[in-house]
Amino acid sequence: MRDQLEAPPPDLERLESLWEAGLKSVFAQYQVAAEPVLALAAALVEVGCGMQRLGEGLATPGDLLLGDLCLARASRLLADLGDQPRQVAFAGVVESVSTSAAASTPLPSVRALLLAAIGSGR
Amino acid sequence: MITTRRIRVPSRRATEFIDLTPALQEAVSASGLDDGRLFVQSLHTTFGLAVNENEPLLLGDLASALERMAPMELVYQHDDLSRRQNVAPDEPSNGHSHVRHLLLQPSLTVLVEGGKLVLGRWQSVFAVELDGPRSRELAVQLDGAFLSPPVSSDRQLLEMELARQLLVDAESVATPMRRLVDAGGKRMRPLLAMLCSRLGPLHDPLRAATLAAAIELIHDATLVHDDYVDDSATRRGRPTVAAAEGPERAIAVGDYYFAKGTRLIAELGNRRVSSTVANAMEMICISQIEDVEVRGRYPGDYAGYLRVVRGKTAALIEAACVGSAQLAGAPEAVTQRLARYGDLLGIAFQMADDLLDYSQHSGKPAGQDIRQRVLSLPLIYATEEGSSAPALRELLDSTLGDGEVLEVQRLVKQSGALGRVEEEARQLVHAAMREIEEAGFDPVRADLVALAHSAVDRVS
Repeated sequence: MRDQLEAPPPDLERLESLWEAGLKSVFAQYQVAAEPVLALAAALVEVGCGMQRLGEGLATPGDLLLGDLCLARASRLLADLGDQPRQVAFAGVVESVSTSAAASTPLPSVRALLLAAIGSGR
Repeated sequence: MITTRRIRVPSRRATEFIDLTPALQEAVSASGLDDGRLFVQSLHTTFGLAVNENEPLLLGDLASALERMAPMELVYQHDDLSRRQNVAPDEPSNGHSHVRHLLLQPSLTVLVEGGKLVLGRWQSVFAVELDGPRSRELAVQLDGAFLSPPVSSDRQLLEMELARQLLVDAESVATPMRRLVDAGGKRMRPLLAMLCSRLGPLHDPLRAATLAAAIELIHDATLVHDDYVDDSATRRGRPTVAAAEGPERAIAVGDYYFAKGTRLIAELGNRRVSSTVANAMEMICISQIEDVEVRGRYPGDYAGYLRVVRGKTAALIEAACVGSAQLAGAPEAVTQRLARYGDLLGIAFQMADDLLDYSQHSGKPAGQDIRQRVLSLPLIYATEEGSSAPALRELLDSTLGDGEVLEVQRLVKQSGALGRVEEEARQLVHAAMREIEEAGFDPVRADLVALAHSAVDRVS
């Protein structure tokens, strides 16, 4: 388990810089609840939403684009996994958070939503 | 080609402004007119036409102005029925209405692009009743390039699906996106998806429309984010979501439709389709990052251009073709052909789009790409060689104000790079068409060829 956390997973092309900057620890949190690919997808969604500062302020253009890539990578990992219920549930998390951000209403906890989404496939 | 129709308009008051815009748009959609003109003509002498803003207080002002200019209380010779010949038994006293009609238009022309009326943000087309209430009639002619019946019906189904998807969303995200969707656009990606879905044995128009709408929403979501990154003020002739709603909301709106698009596709329950579109989305994101990085080495080189354009533009066009055929159960040989067709078409489309930056008549603000230092093939070619190259390179190293942008445009035109890019785009389109023609693809071949042509014809 420890070795898995030390080395970035192979699906982080162009996102390597995020690994040591926080993605690793977020990934570790989800790995307790899910298999590695699913945990990485969840971590990417959480970090992606965070980089885009949804409901918290204005992201820089650079962070916006990296956040987009986090969300797209998560989406692709889930698609390749062929886990349709979780694909739908993960997309629902982003829909829920972004709707709240657009309406300037309090954001739900992204982590709580993602943990529920991970549980939805069981 | 020209088609004609009549529109009946009942009025309810003596003076009334009736917004015809939805009925005229419906006439355009039903006819399949893609690019051309709509002519509308009143068949009455007290029922005129006008283009103005649909704001109730303003309409009250306009009605008051008409009444002041030709008050009903004045004496009009036309109302002296004893002095007129051939007077109908129910002839009204309406001299004031005829005089007011002089202030309006008896007919109007509205341009149509991409199946949409070309109207400014605040413009609506009005019929103005001056002697109501009555039942009125308008003659409409539609002239221009029409979509084929399959594409026209696909387009109508697509527009209905897009409207339906926006209807179920929260207003905080749906309202800004609806403005962007309603502003038009060529709908090339979703129309390709609708057409290519006919190439498989499991073709289902409703499932194809869901996929096509999802692809369009994903495309529009990327535009919403791009416009913030590029600091663009307008898109499709209207303020960008970032400009109108603020960048924070624009980011949320883009994220929402990015996610919604992937959900709609996942719900179709086809793993290959999900992976095809997800891969394209990832390529778009990577190429956007590269596109911004390249701006530090502006104008870049051909290899870098091709890499970025393949991701930024061609990936989703290719995914629209391939994913919809996969959804319909098309064999691998078909999807491989479509992948090559989509890739070639996407690159050609972007090259043609680059050329619009040098046209004053494209609808896209001229010089915007230069100002924003967006990767562009004409600039790459013009700075590579020729007498303009040194001056161009020097200009691009400096701050680009309006004067410098105009000078860059002039030098690029002088270099001959525009012709070179147009020729290259046309060659790519021919190569894309060969993929289709060699494969047969009988039910949709002509439409896929026409769509390929339309990718570059907009620069002619």
